[in-house]
Amino acid sequence: MSEPGKHTGPAGPTRAPVIQPGHTFGSVTDRISSVVLSERMPRLWWLGLGVGFLLVTVLLVAVTHLFMKGTGIWGVNVPVGWGFAIICFVWWVGIGHAGTLISAILLLLNQDWRTSINRFAEAMTLFAVACAGLYPILHLGRPWLAYWLFPYPNTMGMWPQFRSPLIWDVFAVSTYASVSAMFWYVGLIPDLATLRDRSPSRAGRVIYGMLAMGWRGSARHWHRYETAYLLLAALAAPLVVSVHTVVSFDFAVSVVPGWHATIFPPYFVAGAIFSGFAMVLTLAIPLRVMFGLEDFVTMRHLDNMARVMLATGLVVAYGYMTETFMAWYSANPFETYMIMNRFGGPYSVAYWSLIFCNVLMPQLLWFRRVRANVPLLFVISIVVNIGMWLERYVIVVTSLHRDFLPSSWGMYSGTIWDWATFAGTIGLFLSLLFLFIRFLPMISIFEMRTLVPEAEVREESP
Amino acid sequence: MTESVRLAPDHRLSRLRRPALVVGVVGAAALLLGFAVSREHFFQAYLVAYLFWLGIALGCLAVLMIQHITGGMWGAAVRRLLESATRTLPLLALLFLPLTFGLGDLYEWARPEAVAHDPILQYKQLYLNVPFFLARAVFYFAVWLVVARLLNRWSLAQDADDDPAIAIRMENLSRGGLVLYGLTMTFAAVDWGMSLDPHWFSTIYGVIFMGGQVLSAFVFVIVVAALLVDHPPLDGVFTADRFHDLGKFMLGFVMLWAYFALSQFLIIWAANSPEEIPWYLRRMQGGWQYLGGALLILHFVLPFIVLLSRDVKRRADTIAAVASVVIVARFLDLFWMLRPASAVYLSMHWLDVAAVIGIGGIWMWAFVGQLAERSLLPLHDPALVIER
Repeated sequence: MSEPGKHTGPAGPTRAPVIQPGHTFGSVTDRISSVVLSERMPRLWWLGLGVGFLLVTVLLVAVTHLFMKGTGIWGVNVPVGWGFAIICFVWWVGIGHAGTLISAILLLLNQDWRTSINRFAEAMTLFAVACAGLYPILHLGRPWLAYWLFPYPNTMGMWPQFRSPLIWDVFAVSTYASVSAMFWYVGLIPDLATLRDRSPSRAGRVIYGMLAMGWRGSARHWHRYETAYLLLAALAAPLVVSVHTVVSFDFAVSVVPGWHATIFPPYFVAGAIFSGFAMVLTLAIPLRVMFGLEDFVTMRHLDNMARVMLATGLVVAYGYMTETFMAWYSANPFETYMIMNRFGGPYSVAYWSLIFCNVLMPQLLWFRRVRANVPLLFVISIVVNIGMWLERYVIVVTSLHRDFLPSSWGMYSGTIWDWATFAGTIGLFLSLLFLFIRFLPMISIFEMRTLVPEAEVREESP
Repeated sequence: MTESVRLAPDHRLSRLRRPALVVGVVGAAALLLGFAVSREHFFQAYLVAYLFWLGIALGCLAVLMIQHITGGMWGAAVRRLLESATRTLPLLALLFLPLTFGLGDLYEWARPEAVAHDPILQYKQLYLNVPFFLARAVFYFAVWLVVARLLNRWSLAQDADDDPAIAIRMENLSRGGLVLYGLTMTFAAVDWGMSLDPHWFSTIYGVIFMGGQVLSAFVFVIVVAALLVDHPPLDGVFTADRFHDLGKFMLGFVMLWAYFALSQFLIIWAANSPEEIPWYLRRMQGGWQYLGGALLILHFVLPFIVLLSRDVKRRADTIAAVASVVIVARFLDLFWMLRPASAVYLSMHWLDVAAVIGIGGIWMWAFVGQLAERSLLPLHDPALVIER
């Protein structure tokens, strides 16, 4: 029989701990803050930032060219008027969802394993939303008029169409970005104070000191802090569901076969969490090796994240299945044609690749041995990232390219500028991520301290 | 390890058993009378009432599997309640049989003369035909009965033997079982509910059914747990913390129900297409709109606002009161989804009441009987802690 304790589940004795034994308050603080406070960064960090920065310059070129020539440089045209911009927007927004789920929902569910991954997952959310937010603005054609999306009294007598989910997107994504940023910053405050106290340089002490907003760590500070953090978590939790629901409405409220499906909201949310956890794994696996953080991001974390991926991947597979069945059951020839076109039409390679990436490959995660195999897990996480991008590609393109009238049929493919913009946002994401690792603690120091045995309060002690 | 606790024969839950049987028998007699008087009403009333009680049992099966996977004190505390509900599934399989005699009364696709004039129904004959419908029902029940039976048998084995391998075996079965539940229940919802309006379709329909069943299970378990708090030593298990946990789940699934229902409504409303919107138009007139409004209040607004309070969730009597309201709302929800298929105007026939009380009486009798069969607490569940 397993020993009763708060870290043991039903299969308790065989599972790895959330923090390797032997750590104290001091060792946790030293290990995590040393990444920020050290003079030198590992060579891999320079490589990562270098690649990211190079791609950011590609983004700058692509965007400059776009501003000079207009959206005609992209592959979008009639009938496929939505291309890479919406595909990549949905992909990036989806990736962000894992951060919010880990930080808000798992906090409310008292899951202690979230502690060591929540900080960089939240940072990942912010950077992914930043990349996502670029696309709709770039696609406007006249991006300098983006503020017209907001309802404000103006002399033109213009008002946004409130029945359009595209306007709901403006509110959903901007709320998401601001709440995520606030949650992330509030979570950082005690750690910023730690860095202020430990920073060897005067500039570090001043900057971290200002950001820490006078944190002294008194009992009253902690009491208010915990309350505020829980309240913010409760505010952020509905955002996990709401944002991608609104994104799914962008498609589902239309009458286009393949877009108009009532399953879309929950199926998009599951897909978002699926891709988000895949991205967290893609980042966490190399980072924990690069900075020697295997004690904090243990096999337990990788195992749990793989489980969440499997569960959400099954929901996504359920979405594909119901879509296919209902296309037949609906007895609507356009619905049936849409599915047959996905199966055997010109984009069938993309469709079957997505089935391989999102449905078949994740089934390996049923096996404990696969979940314990770090290189394989890394490969699966990348495959899922690709699969979720393909899913959005198939949804957007196959439904549009065969319009209701065969005279309006056409083909779509991204141009070099589409790909350059996409590669550029990946660069932006990587650059922001590596800068974050350099200047802020990527694991929450004060929350990790609560997992150390020293933190266990004994009731019998006076 | 805990000691075996049997349901006391003089506990109010035990004493409920005989009246429940009486109500069930009287209800069954009324149903027989109704069958003779109005065959059409009988089957429609029976279907809604049957799916309501089946929903509680299947919801309990789903929650049982979820708690085997996640672990946690909340699950260990209510495990025996969930298991007892799943052991009523053989009875429910038996109670499905009357429906097989009324397929032609219930479903348009089962009437050859209706199919002969309807090209869409002819197209759907491949799936919607009587032999295949019955074969699918047999398959669904076979899956549910096997999964429920194995989980119950191993649970009993765990009482006798503290081998941790049993817990792992139950966990592993639950993973696959949950996938099977999702697949079978989706198609069962299409067969038994959606095909009442044979032209209509909605891809989220099965999800709405499953979310509703899990909510039914949580509210049912909360009410039973609240009845058991005065049964020592269960007062040390069904503590304020446990009700708090269960209350959070209830709040979560109340919100999820609203989310699924709104998603379906908003998407169909916005597209406003002639093949989908009739389903809602039918439910927005003839009095059904008032029931829809009542659902909005009873199934979402009221429980949502009340359950935000921490104190309400932590007290057995208040949380049970909210749960009772939601149980009624669960029935009204199914009534609103299924009944307008055959009734243009909102009305509750006496058979509708007789069916839900009659089947309910028999079901409660069986449930309490099953609850008394075994210890009220699992004996070797590592997650179970009794507070004294």
